[in-house]
Amino acid sequence: MKEWIVSAALLLPAVALAQAEELENPGRVAAVQERVYRMNQELSLGIGTLPLDAFYKGFGPQVTYTFHFSDTFAWQIGRGMYSYPATTSLRQQLERDFGVLPTAFEVVQWMAGSDLVWSPIYGKTSFLNQQVLHFEAYASIGGTLIKTNSQFRPALDLGVGVRVFSSKFVSYRLDVTNNVCIPLKFPVVNVLNVPTIVLSVALNFGSPE
Amino acid sequence: MKIALLSALLLLALAAAPAPAPQTAPAAPAAAAPAPAGAPDAGTPSSAAPATLPQKVDPKLFDEAWTLYNTANYKEAARRFYAYVEAMPQTDDNYPWAQYFLGQSLVRLKLTHAGAYYLARVVRERANPLVVPRALDGLRELIDLPHDETMVDEQVFAALDLGSVEGETGDYSNYQQGLLDLRAGNERWANLHFDKIPKGTVAASRARFATLVTRLKEFKDAREVNQELIQSFWDLGHDMKLSLETRNEALMAAARLRYEKKDFQGALDAYAQVKLPPLDPGQATLYLEEAWTRYNLGQIHASMGILNTLNAPSFRDEFLPDKYLLKAMIFKDLCHYLPAKRAAKELTRKFAESLETIRTRDDLTRDLRMVRAAAAIGSTRRAYRFYAALQLEGENLGRYAGSFGDRLYGHLNRLYVLAVAEAQRVYEARLKESVRQEADKLVRAAEQVRLMDYEVGLKLYERIKRGSKITKDIEEPPLDPKEVAFPFDGEYWNDELRAYRVSLKSRCIEGAQE
Repeated sequence: MKEWIVSAALLLPAVALAQAEELENPGRVAAVQERVYRMNQELSLGIGTLPLDAFYKGFGPQVTYTFHFSDTFAWQIGRGMYSYPATTSLRQQLERDFGVLPTAFEVVQWMAGSDLVWSPIYGKTSFLNQQVLHFEAYASIGGTLIKTNSQFRPALDLGVGVRVFSSKFVSYRLDVTNNVCIPLKFPVVNVLNVPTIVLSVALNFGSPE
Repeated sequence: MKIALLSALLLLALAAAPAPAPQTAPAAPAAAAPAPAGAPDAGTPSSAAPATLPQKVDPKLFDEAWTLYNTANYKEAARRFYAYVEAMPQTDDNYPWAQYFLGQSLVRLKLTHAGAYYLARVVRERANPLVVPRALDGLRELIDLPHDETMVDEQVFAALDLGSVEGETGDYSNYQQGLLDLRAGNERWANLHFDKIPKGTVAASRARFATLVTRLKEFKDAREVNQELIQSFWDLGHDMKLSLETRNEALMAAARLRYEKKDFQGALDAYAQVKLPPLDPGQATLYLEEAWTRYNLGQIHASMGILNTLNAPSFRDEFLPDKYLLKAMIFKDLCHYLPAKRAAKELTRKFAESLETIRTRDDLTRDLRMVRAAAAIGSTRRAYRFYAALQLEGENLGRYAGSFGDRLYGHLNRLYVLAVAEAQRVYEARLKESVRQEADKLVRAAEQVRLMDYEVGLKLYERIKRGSKITKDIEEPPLDPKEVAFPFDGEYWNDELRAYRVSLKSRCIEGAQE
């Protein structure tokens, strides 16, 4: 009982203060603006890298096509990326000094996939107090088919990205995605992570109306 | 003989070439022969006090100055052109050219008033018909800047017969002459000048605007203004030949007239058409008038949002007594009596010093707040901008004290001292009238606020009767899917100033039964 009284005594001034504030300065203010940039059908062309593998680094172009159902939800219908492998010095050393065969390294050659995209964050920022830049941040989830030098591997991908709008038709995207290859030969667990970082320019077509 | 030949060649070259260059200028500055030994070099700054009489100069000094002008060395060019103008007779062939280039050099050195003074002299003296149109063009380029309206607009464009001048300068001249007639109350004479302006030109649109504004004065009450006149203002507001500022003025005129005729939706449409440059904060009066319009349309949340805009740092020093009145009215309508009372009192608190100045019948021009407000409107604003620009140019003149030499510097110094004194006189005369208008506005708002304070006081202590219940809220428009809301956290963004919306619930009680 005593605890209740103490709690009430502590809480009541806070409630009273909130009420007084509401009486003094009633109302909430928000800037309600028409969303300046809205996406509809998007074709993006980019260049990306596969930076994680210690034995090679992949570089290559990526093309995507996305349909935006609303300002927050979209389907990246198609995504294709080619990867040109640049071997690292570690792999060269292994091949040269330890006789490891080149076929022993699993190298991604290309990948294709499809994702659902959710973009809950839309905002703006000031650039040098002279210009307002609009951006959105999003998360994506989907599936990818990865072609390595030895086999096809299905993967689940999870990613985040940010888009900076340049005009109603052009925006720039930075996507960071991790493709987690699903192990097919049970019980052998051979999980392969293929992260990608892609910087692309996106072209917006059609009206969102 | 050589001089005559030089002048003849110069005139021929001027007639043939688009550039106003006296083509006989020496090949290179280095080739420009220095003044003969023994002959005084009028261009060299002298540490001695300026002589009373100008020194004689070699006619080749003009070519030397012209070369310097072409190499963008305006300081040295101005000094030599002035020495030439001072020493040579007005009948000299190059005299008007020297005046013209002296004016242009000074304009390029950001001494626009001094530049305009020499360009205006060229036009008034009309010594050389080839120079006059160029000087007029030079003057026309200065009219968008703060300038001496008497010297440029009235004594040049409006007073001289410039029938031979064609193109934009001729159009502007006809516009100014018509404007002068309009100000004198003679629309028929004004139209004679306006009719000479080709249709579809900038000057024609400005003339139309001036005519419409003058016609407005014929109506004693704005409610009597006919729809045709309002439509004309609306059309001018969309005339892309006019400057953005003039288009906005026309749209605001249309909005104000519609408001007076109680066509609030029409007024709101006109205010919505007022375009601001990207990230421009806009004008406080535009926001306040839009707030009143929305209030009359029952859009009290949007109206309150606009009042929030007027608290932005860009508008904190604005003289807007109505703002507090409208705020108090909105709070009162929603039965937020304490904030209403506080908003009402805020006016008398904020303008206490100004109200005291009015009450004690002190000199109103000593009240900084009212002076700032008065200096921001109409002709007083123009006079203030010119006065401030002259002061700045007068200060900048000091930078050229060395390179101009004693004679030119002394001459320009005197020119600016006289001009500043005259500009100050004009500004103070206009200020005296404007500040009275602002004082009237403040007194009216203070009276209404006192009344509001009394009414709110009565409501505040009104007894709540049994069975009373809270009235239904005025519905706030829901957020459209196309819209995005940024909650306000005290930081004002210029791109949001027209988009604030306040969510405020009504606390009114109705349905009372005894």
